[in-house]
Amino acid sequence: MSYPSLAEKLAALKVSEPTEYERSCLESVNAGDYEIGVQRTADILDEGYEVFMRSSRSQMGVAGDSIVAIFNAQGDLVNASAGTYLHAVIPPIVIKYILKNFRENPGIADGDIWYTNDALYGGIHNPDQVAIMPVFFEGELVAWTAALSHTTETGACEPGGMPVSAKSRFDEGMNLPPMKIGHDHVLRHDVIEMFAAFGLRSEVSVTVDLRARCTTADRVRVRLLEMFAREGKDFVTGLFRRMLIEAEQGARKRLASWPDGVYRCATFSDSAGTEHGLMRNCFMTMTKRDDTLHLDFTGTSPENGSSYNAHPQAVIGHLANYIYEYVFHDLPISSATFQPIDFEFPPNSMLSPAPNAATSCAVMAATGAMSSIANCVGRARFGTTEWRQVTASLGNGGNASVLAGVSQWGMPFADMLAYTINTEGQGARSHSDGINAYGFPWCAFGRAPDVENMENELPMLVPFSQHWPDSGGAGKHRGGVGTAQLWVAHHAPYVIFMSIADNSIVQTPQPLFGGYTMPTCPGLSMEGVDIPELLRAGEEGTLDLASLLAGKYGGQIVSETYARTARPVMGDQVITLGISTGGAGYGDPLDRDPQAVEKDVTDGLISDWSATDVYAVRFNERTGRVDPQATAAARRDVLAERKARGKTWDEFHEGWSRRKPPEEVLGLYGSWPDGAVVNPLMRM
Amino acid sequence: MPSTIHVAEYLDLDVDAERWRCHSCGHDVGDARENYKRGLLIHERDPGEVHPPLIDGEFTFAPNPEWIRILEFYCPGCGRQVETEYLPPGHPITHDTEIDLDSLKRKLASGELHIDEHGKLEVTA
Ligand SMILES: [Zn+2]
Repeated sequence: MSYPSLAEKLAALKVSEPTEYERSCLESVNAGDYEIGVQRTADILDEGYEVFMRSSRSQMGVAGDSIVAIFNAQGDLVNASAGTYLHAVIPPIVIKYILKNFRENPGIADGDIWYTNDALYGGIHNPDQVAIMPVFFEGELVAWTAALSHTTETGACEPGGMPVSAKSRFDEGMNLPPMKIGHDHVLRHDVIEMFAAFGLRSEVSVTVDLRARCTTADRVRVRLLEMFAREGKDFVTGLFRRMLIEAEQGARKRLASWPDGVYRCATFSDSAGTEHGLMRNCFMTMTKRDDTLHLDFTGTSPENGSSYNAHPQAVIGHLANYIYEYVFHDLPISSATFQPIDFEFPPNSMLSPAPNAATSCAVMAATGAMSSIANCVGRARFGTTEWRQVTASLGNGGNASVLAGVSQWGMPFADMLAYTINTEGQGARSHSDGINAYGFPWCAFGRAPDVENMENELPMLVPFSQHWPDSGGAGKHRGGVGTAQLWVAHHAPYVIFMSIADNSIVQTPQPLFGGYTMPTCPGLSMEGVDIPELLRAGEEGTLDLASLLAGKYGGQIVSETYARTARPVMGDQVITLGISTGGAGYGDPLDRDPQAVEKDVTDGLISDWSATDVYAVRFNERTGRVDPQATAAARRDVLAERKARGKTWDEFHEGWSRRKPPEEVLGLYGSWPDGAVVNPLMRM
Repeated sequence: MPSTIHVAEYLDLDVDAERWRCHSCGHDVGDARENYKRGLLIHERDPGEVHPPLIDGEFTFAPNPEWIRILEFYCPGCGRQVETEYLPPGHPITHDTEIDLDSLKRKLASGELHIDEHGKLEVTA
């Protein structure tokens, strides 16, 4: 076997040295033609992205949870259109692997279609799959194209592609190393049959998404060939190399203004698959020096025997989500922007597990890294003229649920209930609140499906969708709120339900500069609820989260963790309450404008209790409006109470340093408090 | 030439004096080569005081207080909540911001960086 080592993966992320020929081509690209050339690649990619969404079948593909990319002949990522930034820097690992290992046998030829979904070889997790095509111009390899997207079925031990009960990669269904699945511009029929067999639970979405990736990679290839024919090989080769150079310079320039120093963040999570336990899911040490960053994950908890592990390049993909949304938002999507960033991953940690590890819930394992990077970069950047780009962490809950079975149309299906993940709250910003129900932290451009669309595609009803009060972290600037949506099985004798997400005991994101983070998310279902009454209230618009939790519709609330293994739910029963996390809060809640607090109450974004007890706002009982004098007095009292009850550093540590969480919850943590590996993990 | 950077929502960094100061009240929070949290007051809370559980049972809308606590850091001068951190009981407080003062001073002296009128760092064009 020759799967790439960590060192080889990190080396593949670095941009290749320009060849003599490329250097000579640089001269043929003048400033005006460069601008037009860059825009032309963007137009080609945007067309590809549109083709991709329109030809995909799964909810994630239709939502645009994808990326379309162009690479130079050596496999460096030159530009892309997204979708999700998860794949904004890491696909070169796969192309460079193909170039290194398969040039002779089976060979790389015009019309090839290459494919992989195996994170061991460079991806995120196996639902994320990529089709790659070499671009040959006048018989010579001149570029590569790729189309990547998430399909919610892999033939694993549970439906939906992200099994929470997987113990090793052998429980995760289809894992294909980079391989040629088509030649002479034709996708092999035996390969399609293999996908259909692995995708038996949801054959149509698996095979249609496969074809969508191939057709998208090919569309971009055809457009690139038109560009080569029109502009000439010298120009396009020079353009690609210059795009890499400019992207790197742009990234270095951005980093140069931040004060040199060391920035740290510790985040925690509560579960590895079905096993509950405290984990330090990220300990980030970010060293910023001149125009470089060094990210060290030493101190992150050990790998575990569940699917809540992430291979290192998957972690880097998750960092790209934040970095491209907030730091490099105006730079091309290109591996060159990460040229100034180096990484250190401790071996056998949950962010650098052994090759046989299950990693299909890598998206859960990496939430700590996603949250920590927002925190560390925010601290490094606030003291600069870029301070407006500083935000508290996004929700990063990823409360993803899967529904499977046979639909009301008689079709086998396994798909994600994409509403919840696409309506998380944005982290509070340094100058304003986070956006409510802003979107999916993993895919800034993803779209929440319409309820009508969900009810039409899947055997279910959605009696209500609403903002979830108090779900955004409190602060001077409030985290955007998430949403709540109730799901009822309907039009089918039964459905299979399962859910990932590990934020029911502790929340992962840390808040910023004195705010609070978001509440935990329990996994709630309702037994014996009066469904007809519930639907009537939904029609009338009186059904809401508070009345449901208060037991107004009878029955009993069953509370579990949000992550639940696959189980049947009978028709016309509540499947679960889908809730999405809000964003983390920013700044002291006592500094929040009392009028904004009043408006939040009126809009149903926070409770009366929060207004009084967290924000210390006082209202005129007769008018219900803010009482400015009483509020100012109440806030003065709280400030004085804080000064009276706060302890000095030494006083505080007398008690604190002798404490420890209960031994029985530290089984997944590693050594206390450093998170180092204590016992080697044995996988079957 | 200003020598103070508005380095966090509630913290100023006086580069010349090498001191952290409260941005709201000017209180001297301590040596800028040390963790600024050493100069703040610390209070520990049950997370349920900020996040009401709303339902009964083991899994609720409040973090489990045996697993995680909220630490609040206050300015001793004005009582502002300068920072918060959600930590397991006994977990070391994070040294989150360790600015390299020598490098900063060197870059300000050479003119590579400057501090603008709002106390923000910028690369000199
Ligand atoms: Zn103060």
